[in-house]
Amino acid sequence: MIYSLVGYYSLIIGLIIGLFLFYFSYKNFNNSNILNTKILSFSFLQLFFVVISFLCLIFSFIVSDFSNETVFNNSHTTKPLFYKISGTWGNHEGSLLLWLLVLTLFIFLFLVRTKNQPVKYKILTLVFQQIIIVGFFLFLILTSNPFNYIFPIPTEGLGLNPILQDPALAIHPPILYLGYVGSSIIFSSVLAATSLKIISTNWAIHIKKWILISWIFLTLGILIGSIWAYYELGWGGFWFWDPVENVSLMPWLALTTLLHCILVLEKKSILTSWVIILSIATFTLSMCGTFLVRSGILNSVHTFANDPERGLFILVFLFILIFLSILIFFFFHKDNDKKSFSFFWLSKETSILINNWFMMYFLSVVLIGTVYPIFLDVITSQKISVGPPFYHKLIIPFLIPFLLVMAIGPNLKWIKSQLEDKIYLISFLIISILLAFLVLKNFNQNILINTILISSALYLFFITLRDFFVNKYKNISQNIAHFGFSLLILSILFNNLFASEIITNLKVGEIFENSKTKIVFESVDQKKEQNYNAIIANFSISNPNGEEDRLSPELRIYNQPVIATSEADIKTTLMSDKFIVINLVQNQDFFNVRYQVKPFMLWIWLSVILISFGGIISFIKKRS
Amino acid sequence: MKFLRFFLIFILSFYFSNANAEENDKRNKITKNLRCLICQGQSVYDSDSEFANSLKIVVDKKLEEGLSEDQIYEYFKIKYGEWILYDPSLNKNTYILWLLPILIFLIGGAIIYKSFIVKK
Repeated sequence: MIYSLVGYYSLIIGLIIGLFLFYFSYKNFNNSNILNTKILSFSFLQLFFVVISFLCLIFSFIVSDFSNETVFNNSHTTKPLFYKISGTWGNHEGSLLLWLLVLTLFIFLFLVRTKNQPVKYKILTLVFQQIIIVGFFLFLILTSNPFNYIFPIPTEGLGLNPILQDPALAIHPPILYLGYVGSSIIFSSVLAATSLKIISTNWAIHIKKWILISWIFLTLGILIGSIWAYYELGWGGFWFWDPVENVSLMPWLALTTLLHCILVLEKKSILTSWVIILSIATFTLSMCGTFLVRSGILNSVHTFANDPERGLFILVFLFILIFLSILIFFFFHKDNDKKSFSFFWLSKETSILINNWFMMYFLSVVLIGTVYPIFLDVITSQKISVGPPFYHKLIIPFLIPFLLVMAIGPNLKWIKSQLEDKIYLISFLIISILLAFLVLKNFNQNILINTILISSALYLFFITLRDFFVNKYKNISQNIAHFGFSLLILSILFNNLFASEIITNLKVGEIFENSKTKIVFESVDQKKEQNYNAIIANFSISNPNGEEDRLSPELRIYNQPVIATSEADIKTTLMSDKFIVINLVQNQDFFNVRYQVKPFMLWIWLSVILISFGGIISFIKKRS
Repeated sequence: MKFLRFFLIFILSFYFSNANAEENDKRNKITKNLRCLICQGQSVYDSDSEFANSLKIVVDKKLEEGLSEDQIYEYFKIKYGEWILYDPSLNKNTYILWLLPILIFLIGGAIIYKSFIVKK
């Protein structure tokens, strides 16, 4: 009760401070002292009140205060403490409060950490960020107040969606949001810098750190979401090209493009317009993502709260932001790129441009694939599905040249370069093709395309590995990230090609046997936990070499709300994952058993960690 | 030009593939391309709902009857509408979907080539 009250008024105060900040910035724009005295303390206060508000919501969840509508809808007294807390952001209102928290946190950190930049630039960045913040305050207070009262007070809550009662999903939203919302600071800063015409190498060096922060968190956030989907959703896949997944991939693609593009700006002070457009696009895509997920337009596994009115608010807000950025771009940005410049065809600039070119293509595939069905539905009321085959057909062929350029590009010099060590480059290519062919020679499906694909990924793998030892830590962050990417593509390919699967129906005590695998359904146990009851099925799985694994998938029946879920049991080893999941077949006394062996699963996760590790190194590295 | 050749080879390989895939693989491939209509964003292959299971049986039956993959898709398309197919076919509704990304790629390449790269 008291928490809701405090939380709500903290939000109002935060909003008022936001409006105050506009006023101060406007009135004292030419007074450089204002920043350190008033503005910094006000933005700290704003952060403070948002934190208070967020803590209030968490406390409401912890003490199960069901007079609060959000708590009532998303919690239950029998939930373990951990899921009570994570329930805070496992719903629409709470997750938007988290958005707001990250928004205010980032601008405060930005003001504190940014040195050696003009004061006007910092103030203007704050103003643009406040436009977003105030927009979100209004959104929260007007359409999705997390502190709504219910009277009479219910004695019990409705509970939390069982698929959200999971450790990975407890940390997935905060990390993803740090990446998503982190891009807001890039947006505000680029608008400020454009207005003041200070986009230069100096600015590029400064903003690169912020791009990296966003990028690292977004990468890790997507990774955790993917791992969660892998073991929780029960189909054994980790990426389904689901609209909500795509929505997180799009800002990632834009950020990655920006990260490469900023390298050129950092060195040569060109491509400014392109950097501005990309920065604006990144945040717009994050906002679009929020709009698409929150409005309920998307048909997706992940949609757990939606409301058309909210969608409309975000849509209008989004248009205002886009309109504002276009206005600033056209009014203030004078393209100083006009001085004649051209890139030699074989140079680092060109290879980065090629990266941007392909990344934009991938982005357009994902974007069009995600939104086209919506438009078609609205215009012609025809429903079509765009699924994995579409993305695979349009992306995979383009991945081949992309991987090759990724291998060669980083070794090129600025301005004009020559291919050094041609013998190395060619011999590695031949080795890669031979290896790929050897691996696949007993494989009769799609052999040509798979050979080409695997050889180009292997090529990147070998070249980056060689660079690592030859270049002696020069450009190590890039090296590690590219190496991680080659590993990622290889693991995904091998994972797809060499996965095997058995689907069968078994009763307790029955045995399934084929030439490679023997599955014994040994027994069934019961388990009672605080938030669910479970049936545990014990399987013993052995192969002709005499190796035996015991796996125990579960069927869980969650209380509050009462929903049955299947929990896979996964045995992870370095080289492969063994994945088993059971399902109840209605009116039958047998279980549907699905057993999969998925090679290199662990390497998919590891390679993404490597990729983000590359980003982390680049972030902490001091400029020489 | 080299890239272009790569693409041609790749696209051709689509047509020559799958010739001797086993029945089971074929069924998996087909069910992966069908949307489980009662689930939230899952394919028939991935789902264990009753709807999905009954569709799997239908696919098996159609394969036994000797229908080709495309014929089976066509069958489902007529029965449930295009919504069920994850791999939208190229027709007047989907020209933009399939061709716009390629167009963007070509235009992007042209812009980069025209404005930045000078051959010496």
